[in-house]
Amino acid sequence: MSPRIVSLTCLAVLAAAPAQACYADYRAKMDNPLRLHYGVISLPDTACTMDAARPIIATRLAAAGWDLLQIISIFGPDDLATRRSDAGSYFLRF
Amino acid sequence: MPDRISSVSETRMATGRVLVIGIVAVVAVLGLSASLLFVNLPDAGAFNAAVADVFVLMDVRNPDATRVLEIMAQTGTAFSQVLESYRAVIFVLMVFATALLVACLVFLVTIVILNRRMAEIERQGIQVSSLVLSREERVVLINNLAFKLTDAAMETLAVLAEARLDDEVLSGAQIEAMIAGKHTTEADEAAGATRIKRLRDSLGNQIVSELLVKNIARHGYVLAIDKSVIKMI
Repeated sequence: MSPRIVSLTCLAVLAAAPAQACYADYRAKMDNPLRLHYGVISLPDTACTMDAARPIIATRLAAAGWDLLQIISIFGPDDLATRRSDAGSYFLRF
Repeated sequence: MPDRISSVSETRMATGRVLVIGIVAVVAVLGLSASLLFVNLPDAGAFNAAVADVFVLMDVRNPDATRVLEIMAQTGTAFSQVLESYRAVIFVLMVFATALLVACLVFLVTIVILNRRMAEIERQGIQVSSLVLSREERVVLINNLAFKLTDAAMETLAVLAEARLDDEVLSGAQIEAMIAGKHTTEADEAAGATRIKRLRDSLGNQIVSELLVKNIARHGYVLAIDKSVIKMI
């Protein structure tokens, strides 16, 4: 194996690492009357950081009339199950 | 020490300014407090924002707990509607307070003006506020002080009073002509002047004896003024 191929493989592995599905849990509100919810949302592979995720989540929630209050964390598919009960009907809804 | 000089018209101008400044100040102060009141009282959104803060800060995730928070926000909204009505009541009271303060100021200034005018009138001396002629009794009442006049003086005063009612000025000849029943061209100017002189003498004498040099019967004479106003230069 030439060193060139090795480096290409490493690059491919590095690129593939964030390519696995990622999710965020967040809090949102709606005014008049005040409604609140805690939810889990799936994110595209390119937006697995807080900064990148914020505008995506905000626009998706705004389409349904919700204001994003806070993104709590971004996590992988392994942690989905523990959040399912808390998110309730807002589990992967938007 | 120079005398304090003041005039009624000056006072009225100054008080007019004071009045305008005072009313503007009262309205401005109360307007300012009213606006502060409206700005500082929390609105309906304040409760909701507080509940949303609790939601974030307390790390609430449970759907039931979230539901409870929503209910809390609704009770807060209900209370804020009560607050809205309080605000209206406070504003009405504010308007009342403004009206009362303005009225107080106006009355205060009115009292000051009246006081000044009273002082002015007192200084002016005699001011005729009523003149009643009674020809039958040959009595003239000036400010309810009765003075007896001779027939001739009474006639002269009556003629002058009638002329004044018609806003006319009479010459000596015209007065003589009216009283003696002659034509103006035949009447003597000097005769009219004499009538005026007699009227002045008789009435002036009586007024001075009533107001200034009093005669106490079988006792003597005294000045009818306050001791403190006498000054010898």
